[in-house]
Amino acid sequence: MADATLPAAPARRRRIASPMLRRILRDRLALAAAILLGLICIAAILAPWLAPFDPYNTTRRPFVPPRWSEGSLPQYWLGTDGQGRDMLSRLLYGTRLTLVMGLASVIVGGGIGALFGLLSAYYRRIDPYVMRFADILLSFPAILLGLALAAVVGPGLTAIVIALSIATIPDVARITRSAAIVVMGQDYMEAGRAVGLSDRTLIWRYLALNCLSSVFVFLTLRFGQIILIGAALSFLGLGVRPPEAELGMMASLGRDALFFAPHIAMLPSLMIVMIVLCANVLGDALRDLLDPRLRNT
Amino acid sequence: MLNHVASRLALSVPVLFGVLLFGFLLLQLVPADPAAIIAGPTASPELIAEIRKDLGLDRPIFVQFALYMSRVLQGDLGVSLISNTRVTEDLGEAIGPTVELMFACLVWAIPVGIALGTIAAVNRGRFLDRLVIAISVAGVSTPVFFIGLILMQYVGYQWELLPFIGRGGPLWSLSGLASIALPALTLGLIFIGPIARMTRTAALEVMNADHVRTARAKGLGERTVILKHVLRNALIPVVTLIGLQAGYLLGGAVVTETIYSWPGVGRLAVGAILASDFPLAQGAILVLALAFLTINLIVDMLYAALDPRVQKHG
Repeated sequence: MADATLPAAPARRRRIASPMLRRILRDRLALAAAILLGLICIAAILAPWLAPFDPYNTTRRPFVPPRWSEGSLPQYWLGTDGQGRDMLSRLLYGTRLTLVMGLASVIVGGGIGALFGLLSAYYRRIDPYVMRFADILLSFPAILLGLALAAVVGPGLTAIVIALSIATIPDVARITRSAAIVVMGQDYMEAGRAVGLSDRTLIWRYLALNCLSSVFVFLTLRFGQIILIGAALSFLGLGVRPPEAELGMMASLGRDALFFAPHIAMLPSLMIVMIVLCANVLGDALRDLLDPRLRNT
Repeated sequence: MLNHVASRLALSVPVLFGVLLFGFLLLQLVPADPAAIIAGPTASPELIAEIRKDLGLDRPIFVQFALYMSRVLQGDLGVSLISNTRVTEDLGEAIGPTVELMFACLVWAIPVGIALGTIAAVNRGRFLDRLVIAISVAGVSTPVFFIGLILMQYVGYQWELLPFIGRGGPLWSLSGLASIALPALTLGLIFIGPIARMTRTAALEVMNADHVRTARAKGLGERTVILKHVLRNALIPVVTLIGLQAGYLLGGAVVTETIYSWPGVGRLAVGAILASDFPLAQGAILVLALAFLTINLIVDMLYAALDPRVQKHG
């Protein structure tokens, strides 16, 4: 109704978008990280088409080393694992599942956390309760949550994603809340309220959109940590069940063959390092550009 | 300070309650009827019913929860489904090695991390600074099991420098010291990154403070300024942040113990979960949660002791 008569809430995103792009382009390291992460994501998405072999198909050629070492076979670029499965294909599928695990947790946990933060900033009455709740969640380390959920639900991807999502909620709620409180003090919020916009419109169209960049930067920074914790839980055997491929689990399968076929454990581990490193470098760069306030979190 | 610590203690009550509730739920998953097990295979249904009554199993679920809590508070965590030993005994044997591992990790990682962070701050923008930043970014991006596997393969297996399976004995014996070296190195390596980073940020902030300028102006040597005026103040946020990383340390310890077959609580917990040994899993998770809360509490007290401002504001 009154929307047309009001100037739209200044969307911080749009104003920053083009200089941000330019500055990211100037920051070579961040650019390299973005490109590499993009390539990894594309490779993961295209895994069914890129993989030369069926990642679950066992053969009678176990422990074949990668192409650059002695005793390799030309058809297996990265060798095979202990059950003769093609490492390259498994690596592609494994990356896919690891990324899905991380993204699902960031989206679910980030969404719920951001909602808590927004409501907490908008309805000051519920604020203390939400923040106490966040404190309690915060005193529960992610790895413990993962162990506990795996014990109850049974090991599996679901247990890990739930644990990682819950672990993401409190920090995101805090970050969103502090960003939203700043936005609440802006004139356009007052103006929106004065012309009689509903709470719902104010929260979603004005408050949420203006907090988006802070939340986004924080989640980028968090993504790497989430992948690390998830991979650790998988490594412990609490995640995806075999034969499904996931990077952490692949590394743990390679542990038994570490001394004579190190590539089985090392390749998936290196992939995790690459993903997390890119996410961290990119997150740091985005934070410096968009939200220097987050520097100490 | 008392106020501050008390409010933190108050916060751990709901957490402990949550963990206990969780342990209770976990025990409900035990497939067999505990009364039937105690009574034995030849027992009459009447006898089983009587034992059920003795154990409180016929009472409403919240009463059972209350009974469970009182048992846990008395130190009774039940019996392992697999080894049939008391859970408290298994845990008692595992706590020592875990504490040992964490101690051996922190005792080298904290000083090294703080030193690296200080070096970076002093050389701000120069090569050494960039190097430290690169090391710490790489450190926080590497899974602890990767570091463990690399050290195990090279230092342990190929160069045969250190043992890499199990615990050789108590920390003060030579074989114990040798066996803890690799696990402690592994766990410490993921920890120096965050510590160096925090120290650098904190030190840079303090270096711009007025009192540091005053110290320089009155002609103190650079070494004195950095050590006495900068570092001492920078340590306050660093201690808090180390506390915030307690979960990180705990998680790292669980993985490290599993890799090196270190007989600690983390390995016990993982093994119990994978074997569906619910009473043992319940006990191990309870102990890990308690360890986490204790570390946080110690850090809070340290913080209050280091920063006189906390005492006033509570």
